[in-house]
Amino acid sequence: MLWKSRRLLFLLPGFSGVMLFYLLPFLEVVRRSFLKSGNGAFVGTDNYRAVFENGAFALAVRNTFLYMVAGVPLLMGISLFLSLLLRNLVLRRRLVSAMLLPMAVPAAVMVLTLQILIDRQGLINGVLKNVSEKMAALPAFAAIDYLNTEWAIVVVVCSFLWKNTGYMVILWLAGLAALPKEVEEAAKVDGANRWQSWHYIIRPGLSGSFFTIGMLSVLQIFKSYREVWMVAGSYPQEQIYFLQHLLQNWYLKLEFDRMAALTVILSLVLLAVCLLLQREKSF
Amino acid sequence: MESRLKAPAWAAQMCGVWRKRKMIWLAAGICAAAAALICAPLLMIPGGALMDGAEMKRILAPVLGEGKGFAVWHLLPFYPTIGHFRRLLIESPAFYRLFWNTVGMTAAILSGQLVVGLPSAWAFAAFRFRGRDFLFGLYVVLMLLPFQVMLLPQYIVLQKLHLYNHPAAVILPAIFSTFPVFIMYRGFTQIDAGIMEAARLDGAGEIQIFLHIGLPLGKMGIQAAMVLSFLEYWNLVEQPMAFLEEQAQWPLSLYLPQIGISQAGFAFAVSVVVLIPALFVFALGQDALEEGIAYIGVKG
Repeated sequence: MLWKSRRLLFLLPGFSGVMLFYLLPFLEVVRRSFLKSGNGAFVGTDNYRAVFENGAFALAVRNTFLYMVAGVPLLMGISLFLSLLLRNLVLRRRLVSAMLLPMAVPAAVMVLTLQILIDRQGLINGVLKNVSEKMAALPAFAAIDYLNTEWAIVVVVCSFLWKNTGYMVILWLAGLAALPKEVEEAAKVDGANRWQSWHYIIRPGLSGSFFTIGMLSVLQIFKSYREVWMVAGSYPQEQIYFLQHLLQNWYLKLEFDRMAALTVILSLVLLAVCLLLQREKSF
Repeated sequence: MESRLKAPAWAAQMCGVWRKRKMIWLAAGICAAAAALICAPLLMIPGGALMDGAEMKRILAPVLGEGKGFAVWHLLPFYPTIGHFRRLLIESPAFYRLFWNTVGMTAAILSGQLVVGLPSAWAFAAFRFRGRDFLFGLYVVLMLLPFQVMLLPQYIVLQKLHLYNHPAAVILPAIFSTFPVFIMYRGFTQIDAGIMEAARLDGAGEIQIFLHIGLPLGKMGIQAAMVLSFLEYWNLVEQPMAFLEEQAQWPLSLYLPQIGISQAGFAFAVSVVVLIPALFVFALGQDALEEGIAYIGVKG
């Protein structure tokens, strides 16, 4: 019996920390989401109602959803396309490393260059103006203020793609590497062209990867806050005000009632995503 | 069978062209272009760090709101100077404070993760116990949640423990992060179960098995976890911003955005100093990094 308990000693230190810093405080937040923060009186679902009736919440949900709808398919499509091209290249390792480089770049460094690039009088607009002047056929160029107009969401999606493409390429390549090579080779011998082997062999074989990478991309959307905050601050252009901003701002304003309710709501949604992910993958 | 395998005419044609050997160059070209696009913004950094303040002011005047037209950039500065580095490394004692804050935090977190995370990962990989699957599922959910969800819970516990505004407020929760546990676990699951069984039959104790089989054979997962953690914690922003009020305790990654674009040259010099260790780890740990990311996606 002794060896059994000694086994548990491996887990105990880590698990007690996870309990202390993650699980118990989270349960405490669940409890507090039904209480009034000043006196601790039970208020039922008032906090939740306050969240749902909040204008900023509606805005943040809408924006986060739009960000997801634009960002996830683009990320998945681009990274899948690149990994299909990369799969048989000799230089694959080098190119994947280059695509992964953004992981090593601290957000603040990236933001500095971004500010110079996307300012209304920045480099990108300068290049666009030059191009439009050289080609007389193009309409006259009007400088775009990327951060303070609807273009803000484009900037955010681009930085999301910049940051995550390499990461997803690796996941796709791992999925592709797991496909049995023989089937594809047999099909080639039988005269299947590339389209056919993609349509009938690769795509069905990747269905698990589609799901996993899709869910991970969704979670990455919720994890991207740093860059947006650094470029645009706590109150960015209306279109890029996300749920992460809302939580962060309520925290700064010490609005813990609503924050507790929103934390519970958001974690339930993300928990659903995680459970779907786990059922598929049997982690 | 023939009819089922029919593809759109244009696709079949494309693929016919594709088959030609030459087209591999197109694939390589597209991928190289994508990689170059991703890396291009970084090319601005070394030039910017060595650029004289006056030159920087002149070419960035439009961005700084002091001029008409558009900003331009010189990849190689016309008037190179090491002035920014001199100012940073010799004339800014505060910089060292922040630099060592970053180093200290990262080192404390990484070593803490090794001490508590490594045995946890081993427990999940090597033992079957009641509630293991549920518990592991919980760990995975925790690792996937964004920081903002844990912001209020952690604030509450840090207040209770009187750790708010103390470096431990950032370090302790990070030590118990479940992400490195997951990555190290994945590394351990690559070990052939037969080896452990054989060791057990030969009378090896659990600790011996962990030390002599787990650690050497699960090395890749451990390295991957450390590289991923380093890149994450070298770049901390949200946690110190939420839990550390005094600027003297901040890491560099939080200080850098405060410099502002009006001192772009100086900010680029700080960027270089922040980037060098990260790039160093990135270059050294590349295999482990890619392996670690792949662990997240594979079935198992």
